[in-house]
Amino acid sequence: MRIQNTLFSLVSISALALVGCSGGTDSEKPAASDSAADSSADIVYKIGVIAKSNSNPVFQAAKNGAIAAGKRLTAELDGASVEILWQTPPMEDAQVQAQYVEQLVSSGVDGIAISCTDANLLTSALQGAVDKGVVVVTFDSDAPDSGRMAYYGVDDKEAGKEVMRQLAAVMGNEGKVAVLTGNPAATNLQARVDGVVEQAAEFENIETPMVYSFMPETATEAAAKMQQVQSANPDITGWALVGGWPLYTDNALDGIYENAKIVSMDPLPLPLEYAMKGQVQVLVGQPYFGWGEKSVEMIVDKLHFDRSPSSEMVYADFDIVTSDDAEEFAKGWDLWLGED
Amino acid sequence: MTKANSSPTHSDTKPPFHKRLLAHQESGLVLVIILMSLGLTFFGMLNPAEARSQIELDEGSVVLLLDAEGTIHESGTIARTMIATYRVQKGATNTDYPASEIDKYDSTTATLYARTTINPFLNKTNLVLVTKDASFFAIIAVGMTGVIILAGIDLSVGSIYGLCAIVGAMALQSLPSDTSWIIAVPVGVLVCTVVGTLCGLANGSMSEGLGVHPFVITLGMMAALRGLTVVLPQELFGTQSIGGFPESFTTGFFKAEFNGVYPVPVIIMILCGIAGWFVLSRTVFGRRVFAIGGNETAAKYAGIPVKRVKILVYTITGALCGLSACAYLGYYGAAETNAGNAYELQVIAATVIGGASLMGGRGTVIGAVLGAIIIQLINNTLIIFEVDTSYNQIVMGAAIIIAVVIDQTKQRIQARRA
Repeated sequence: MRIQNTLFSLVSISALALVGCSGGTDSEKPAASDSAADSSADIVYKIGVIAKSNSNPVFQAAKNGAIAAGKRLTAELDGASVEILWQTPPMEDAQVQAQYVEQLVSSGVDGIAISCTDANLLTSALQGAVDKGVVVVTFDSDAPDSGRMAYYGVDDKEAGKEVMRQLAAVMGNEGKVAVLTGNPAATNLQARVDGVVEQAAEFENIETPMVYSFMPETATEAAAKMQQVQSANPDITGWALVGGWPLYTDNALDGIYENAKIVSMDPLPLPLEYAMKGQVQVLVGQPYFGWGEKSVEMIVDKLHFDRSPSSEMVYADFDIVTSDDAEEFAKGWDLWLGED
Repeated sequence: MTKANSSPTHSDTKPPFHKRLLAHQESGLVLVIILMSLGLTFFGMLNPAEARSQIELDEGSVVLLLDAEGTIHESGTIARTMIATYRVQKGATNTDYPASEIDKYDSTTATLYARTTINPFLNKTNLVLVTKDASFFAIIAVGMTGVIILAGIDLSVGSIYGLCAIVGAMALQSLPSDTSWIIAVPVGVLVCTVVGTLCGLANGSMSEGLGVHPFVITLGMMAALRGLTVVLPQELFGTQSIGGFPESFTTGFFKAEFNGVYPVPVIIMILCGIAGWFVLSRTVFGRRVFAIGGNETAAKYAGIPVKRVKILVYTITGALCGLSACAYLGYYGAAETNAGNAYELQVIAATVIGGASLMGGRGTVIGAVLGAIIIQLINNTLIIFEVDTSYNQIVMGAAIIIAVVIDQTKQRIQARRA
């Protein structure tokens, strides 16, 4: 009887936890229909949103964007409503994402918006969803062979070019540039680095940038790498960061910002503090809130009006944040992270 | 006085069948699964999910969208809620479907979907999905049960799984795309299991040969093998993931469709579970594992080759990691460097929920497999209840801790009574 008791307790705790959790769900459900006779009011568009990881603040913004779009569209649509189901693994894990795709399809969702941790691994699961009539939109990271309706995000190569353009401007179009990247095998980072190098070639007085990578992609590893490189190469006068990794720790740029100009991707709350202090000159941002918002809009447009975007690659503009407007930009994060 | 009257026979003292059934370690787990399934089925009956099925249209058919007044609209010019009728027109023949029966019309693919409702839990697709998702770590849990019965631990199973997947992917990618499954499947299985076996052998040999606790050895191996998993594809292919296997290996075997579902990983899990149960409960080797876990010193004096048995158990666990990685490769059609990340926690959780004692000497393979299914059932419950996945780990963690604490408390009480 020992095991039975144990397991009954297991069931109880699961049930209790579920009951407790159900009040705190982030699934945004529409209000109940006032008129049962109105058949159109029965239409509820269920959209599963799968980001890469729950622990990354940029995806928290994407989640809030999706929820905001769901609420707005529910108010705007005539007789239909939108329900957002947030299904994101705690850590980046393509296999878990694929499992979420399959389970969401099995539970009858109408659409899925996903940022793919690994396109190869997710292609088959997304193809299965498309085959079953689910509208799929990718954001941030694409799975081009999955049959998805559209991709929304920035062009990574253009992002790299923009970082270099901004850096050249603050360096006065001359000097020695170093590029900091994370996993050198990551295709999105490769494209950004290519963009930086390609754009740097446009400037006569800027040497071909040296590229420095680090693994694992943690803030401390990134900061240590920058410190070591700057120490060994004091003639570096500009840093192009194709991701904001070192800026997620304090004092990461000590000994660097005094000697070099720095332009980075990702104007998140912590990197913005570096910009406010003047240690980072420009931050190039992606549409974090828009990842969720625009993806949900595109899916609902397809479901409700049977309208597809004119191109399957929907590129977003960059946010350019300088030291002068960093404080203003930081206020946006209060909204995007739902702290307002 | 007859013999029967003088003393009760063994059969007289035997408890009734239902009590013996309930006394089985796994019966409680089965009961939990049944109770959870009943609850979810009932919830699903009250809250059926919408599903869609494709309506086969004859070639040359055109779908027209009619509003309530019978006016025809082009697709993309009318909101779905304003459509009253979907008319399928072929020549002079019209077939009308009221909007209430239609889920949607997709003009891009010219596909009409009928609206149906399903029980979100009790449908074959979902049930196979739950067990399929459990199968990848349940297969490893079969080996982990032996390790834990030995009072050992293997923290490297996730990294072994990842390395096997990456090396297996390299081998499979090098095969021509039209390779028959007769070649592709053995190549995949062999490469993955050989890599896993070698890793498991290294774990067991180092732990026993150097006399270092397996926690330390497998912790080191966890980091080293994960590093190798990242470096190999990066250095050789400049990528984070490897795909492009022969179809005969993926959709032709490991993701073969049977009646609308993909059960191969589940079948492998069941076969591994049966084999593991047989080895642990019906062979001399299995008895030795329990004997070592129960009292290693006594086992040594009884002449059991303790080191050899331990090395073999770690080796088998490594081989099972390889087999599981092979199923993963076949099902998902690719391997990435993060494969199996933090799998060790799920595997150990399944084994512990399945009744294995971390102190050694106790555990069952069937329990571990059922434990894995329970973990996935909790995941599935959260999805069906539309609970944010952020709460998933809280529920899982609470379930594991409470299961173990209650189990240990009961043991202490029983020991005091004895």
